[in-house]
Amino acid sequence: MRSFQYGSGGGFVPPSTSDFNLPPVIGHNPYTTKPIFLVVLSVVVISVFFLAASRKALVVPSKLQFAGESIYSFVRKDLGEEIIGHEFMRFVPFLFTLFTFILTNNVFGIVPLLQFPSMSHVSFPYVLALFTFVIFHWVGIRKQGLGTYLKGIAFMPGVPKLVYILLTPIEVATFFLVRPLTLSLRLFANMFAGHLLLLVFIMGGDHLIRGVVGLKLIAPFSFAFGIGMTFFEFLVQCLQAYIFTLLTALYIAGALSDEH
Amino acid sequence: MAAGEEGALWSIMGYLISGLLIWGGIGYGIDRWLGTHFFLLIGLLLGGGASLYLVWLRFGRK
Repeated sequence: MRSFQYGSGGGFVPPSTSDFNLPPVIGHNPYTTKPIFLVVLSVVVISVFFLAASRKALVVPSKLQFAGESIYSFVRKDLGEEIIGHEFMRFVPFLFTLFTFILTNNVFGIVPLLQFPSMSHVSFPYVLALFTFVIFHWVGIRKQGLGTYLKGIAFMPGVPKLVYILLTPIEVATFFLVRPLTLSLRLFANMFAGHLLLLVFIMGGDHLIRGVVGLKLIAPFSFAFGIGMTFFEFLVQCLQAYIFTLLTALYIAGALSDEH
Repeated sequence: MAAGEEGALWSIMGYLISGLLIWGGIGYGIDRWLGTHFFLLIGLLLGGGASLYLVWLRFGRK
């Protein structure tokens, strides 16, 4: 949460990257910042929710059971079976964990009092993308053998040998650099920008309402826009969790298939 | 298949980015090394062209 700060001339201090560097909660221990607690909280929330939803499974499901099963079958069918194909079942636990974890952490960005998306700290998406990176390469190597897998990535069949000089660096960079980087940066940038946007409108409204009468009249519009953007943020947060999981499934599917 | 098309879409984006990144990067490196200014442009054009060619090879010629 941001303390209300004002510049030396009493002017508006726009939100900046420093608003994302929250001080440690306990003493000077850098491992006790708000994002860390939010990530731990998300694990608790997800565990409790799905344990409660699946504890007394009935043929005619309760509302809670229905909600839990809808999310699970969405990940299993739309992200697992349809994209990965017949071997999808062993990847469902990973995809499901990834989806619920990112979704919960993203939505924390607009939950009152929490109001901070942990994924706006780039290290969290980096680690998640690292998991995806290791898993899809591992799957490919296990399935096709190291040599065949790397050859499939680096050398396009049916191309004159000289052209490989041009194409192989691009292929290798795509699979080993661009994929994990775009995966993590897409999630990070969306959460970072979204949070910044909300800060601008809410803090801006707060500043306006303390101004002269003319400014006070404008303040409600700033707040209203902030609330509108909050709903929009919810859309973005769900979408980003979906895209991250979708791309992970697509990369695994690509590594499993013989031709990329 | 819808899923396959969606996969192709994201792969194409990745290829286009890495083509510009790699060959543009090589061009920039040569510029820094030799003190010239035009290798970056050559690298970017080469990378852009090569990645489009790669996209055609992967997805266009079926």
